[in-house]
Amino acid sequence: MFASVRSATLLGVRGSRVDVEVHAGIGLPGFTVVGQPDEVCRESRDRVRAALMSSGFVWPTRRVTVNLAPTGDRKSGACLDLAIAIGLLASQEIVSVEALGEFAFVAELGLDGSLRPLRGATPLVLALTDRKTIVAPGNFAEARAATPSEVFCAQNLFDVVECLAGRGVWHNEDHDKKSTANSSLKCDARRREATSVSSNKQIDEVDLADVQGQPVARQALEIAAAGAHHLLLVGPPGAGKTMLAERLVGLLPPLTNDEAIATTMIHSSVHLESPNAGLIRRAPYRAPHHSSSMVSMVGGGTALMRPGEISLASNGVLFLDELGEFAPTVLDALRQPLEQGIVRLARARTSVVMPAKFLLVAATNPCPCGEGSPGVCTCDDTARARYLRRFSGPLLDRFDLRVAVSRPNTDELVSPQRGESTAEVAGRVAAARELAFFRSGCANSALSREQLDNVAPLSRTAEKLLRRELENGRLSGRGYHRVRRVARTVADLDGAPDVVNEEHLSLALMMRVDLASGLRTRELKF
Amino acid sequence: MSVNATQFLDADHLAASALSALPQIGPKRLSTLLRYHDPQTAWAVVQGRAKPHAVVAALMQESGLGAMWRANATESLREQILGRCKKVGIRVVLHGESSYPSCLKNDLAPPAVLFYLGDLKALDARRVGMIGTRSATASGRYFSSHLGFELTANGVCVVSGLARGIDAWAHRGALRACEKFLNLENKKPKSAFGEVATPVGVVASGLDYVYPKEHADLWRQVAQTGALLSESPPGAPPEAFRFPLRNRILAALSEVLVVVESRDKGGSMITVDEAQKRDVTVLAVPGSPRNVAAVGTNLLVQQGCLPVIGVDDVLVALGLDNRRANEKSFDSRPRLSEQDAHLVAVMVGAPFTLDEFVIRTSVPLLQAAIALGRLEALGWVVNNSGWWEVIEFG
Repeated sequence: MFASVRSATLLGVRGSRVDVEVHAGIGLPGFTVVGQPDEVCRESRDRVRAALMSSGFVWPTRRVTVNLAPTGDRKSGACLDLAIAIGLLASQEIVSVEALGEFAFVAELGLDGSLRPLRGATPLVLALTDRKTIVAPGNFAEARAATPSEVFCAQNLFDVVECLAGRGVWHNEDHDKKSTANSSLKCDARRREATSVSSNKQIDEVDLADVQGQPVARQALEIAAAGAHHLLLVGPPGAGKTMLAERLVGLLPPLTNDEAIATTMIHSSVHLESPNAGLIRRAPYRAPHHSSSMVSMVGGGTALMRPGEISLASNGVLFLDELGEFAPTVLDALRQPLEQGIVRLARARTSVVMPAKFLLVAATNPCPCGEGSPGVCTCDDTARARYLRRFSGPLLDRFDLRVAVSRPNTDELVSPQRGESTAEVAGRVAAARELAFFRSGCANSALSREQLDNVAPLSRTAEKLLRRELENGRLSGRGYHRVRRVARTVADLDGAPDVVNEEHLSLALMMRVDLASGLRTRELKF
Repeated sequence: MSVNATQFLDADHLAASALSALPQIGPKRLSTLLRYHDPQTAWAVVQGRAKPHAVVAALMQESGLGAMWRANATESLREQILGRCKKVGIRVVLHGESSYPSCLKNDLAPPAVLFYLGDLKALDARRVGMIGTRSATASGRYFSSHLGFELTANGVCVVSGLARGIDAWAHRGALRACEKFLNLENKKPKSAFGEVATPVGVVASGLDYVYPKEHADLWRQVAQTGALLSESPPGAPPEAFRFPLRNRILAALSEVLVVVESRDKGGSMITVDEAQKRDVTVLAVPGSPRNVAAVGTNLLVQQGCLPVIGVDDVLVALGLDNRRANEKSFDSRPRLSEQDAHLVAVMVGAPFTLDEFVIRTSVPLLQAAIALGRLEALGWVVNNSGWWEVIEFG
């Protein structure tokens, strides 16, 4: 007998449809899975067998072949467990083959027949929008939020069979609150919830009001958030660079629906728990340590292409603390994603495209001794030059904003007066973003050169200033356009939606610190 | 070989140079050797071919020095020194010779052998030593080069150590003055104030061993325009012990020593000690108490050194007529508006970031940016890697 059941597997951050074909024929009893299953997938035989028996069904004494179509792609993970079990039951006519036509199944099976949640629920159900999808209770909230089509869940394999036969009712409400039969599952879910809450809490609880003084760095955060400009903070240890970077993500507006789905897809595919509401609505914040490898940053792996930190930070903030300590190859690998907003990974067997549209914030000391300030710094020029050589010019060029941060002095630190709160600044940021999107359909940092002349015309004095900078050789051709984009954002925040004035341009220029300028021997005038 | 040698270095000079290249031979031991023997005999003595004077014999018994010198005093060492001298054009003058700089002759510890490039006549002018920290602020660098320029233009020889920071900038200023007045007056180095002096550099390493490397051009220019001196034999690397020795020569050559910017410890303070041993007037350029790079100079002023705020102060200390010095101001910058002058007055002193500017002046950020941009264009502030600094003296 033959049955075909719809399911899906994960590749990169996308689900791809798989038809699980089960044939139970005459021959020596046996069980084969074909169609490029990986190790975990092959092991599903044992899980399915135990689950069937625990649920009171019979393991067929026939020659069973399970084919995972399309056979050309490699299948990975345990997401096909339930589909294989259902296929087996259908091939024995315990489940009617006709009933399967409108369903798809994505869940892992426990040996007791329970349905277990898996990572990547969002991309998996999004690959199956033409069917009613059956998922594990632990995936239900996320799956329902992600897909427009119907999603059901059941506690265990027996319930699934009962419901398919019309003898039971599908659960289609939130199961997190209801107690579940499986204690280990419950435990699992609770633990994941706890970790997810605490990790979100850290970022949720910080407020820009905690930052004392530092008017320039605050303004830089505001500009970065409003115009999606990449930001480099340069300053001595203890200046609060990390503190500032953590507060940037709070300034970003909540994700739109499309962004939320895209972000949830990425996070769900590495099993980071989505919040209780299902979709990730807040801009993500990722701060990988500087020892991170190339693959952990850009993504990859042999069979299953995992998204890297840059994809996890998509639609949010990627913070690289101690930029100079990252391996140069890792930093240079960021250049293409920074330019294109995606990362294209190719391996011998597969190639995937993953989103990587993040706001890059980096922090670095100005020199090896960390002080930077002329006179205080004890580094000689060679040491400084060697330190700066760690950042390639092309990478530094991609930071629209490069800001020197100094240590707040004692008065500012102990001052009871608190700065503006995240909520106040976020309001201005949202307004500026809305203005930018209304005007040109993109953030200011993405304005094309042609658009610049239309949307960011310069006042006469501003033009003179820019001309002077170009003639002095302090601004390159590329820098010219970047400064104009930043100036556009400065003007937007200043409530000047039309012409970019001299003061806006001046600030944009001041926020483009040339790290190597202290090393050049300049001609003095006599 | 000796025929070749006489063309460039005579046998005495060559023997003395080779002696100075022996291991463990400091200025004191070299002086002792050359006091009791003429150079060629001294060379024979260390080689074991001649009988040493009693004092020298005692010296050579000290911790196996004699044996070590005998092992090293080979003909190939002599050849090597000769080759190196010839390659760069290094010349030698010995203590006691007529061309030996008169200012060093009666010093507490005159170098027995002095290597030089250029013309020792540069030392005939009035001499001012300029020293300071290697990690100087922009303000210190500007001041150093301006003072170097004006002293040179007033006929005062700038003596400095060619180190990074203050030293190099003093010489850059001095060279600029030479270049300017040399070109103007048709190869006669004269300024409006009379004869232009030429700079003198005193370095720690051998004269063919440029340190720091990036100063190669500066070395060449100083040697071509004025003179470059060293006590170390050609090929000697810039070992740490050579710097205090160099500082002593620098102090001995100076009639007045100006410390432009210095921390409370470091090479500049060693030079100051050497100068005080020799009763050389030490002047210091005061800085803001907030400026870490000026802690040493402020300390000197506190201890009674006269402050320097312009070239006049140095000229007066030399006993020179300073009336003409004021004739021409080098500050060609446009005068500031009252508002800008106030900003400059508030921020003068230590380097600051844009943050500190906004906090201290209470000017809104956008206005602050435009004000700093304006001041920078006028030359009143400079920016280095994100730190701003007011330049007080144009």
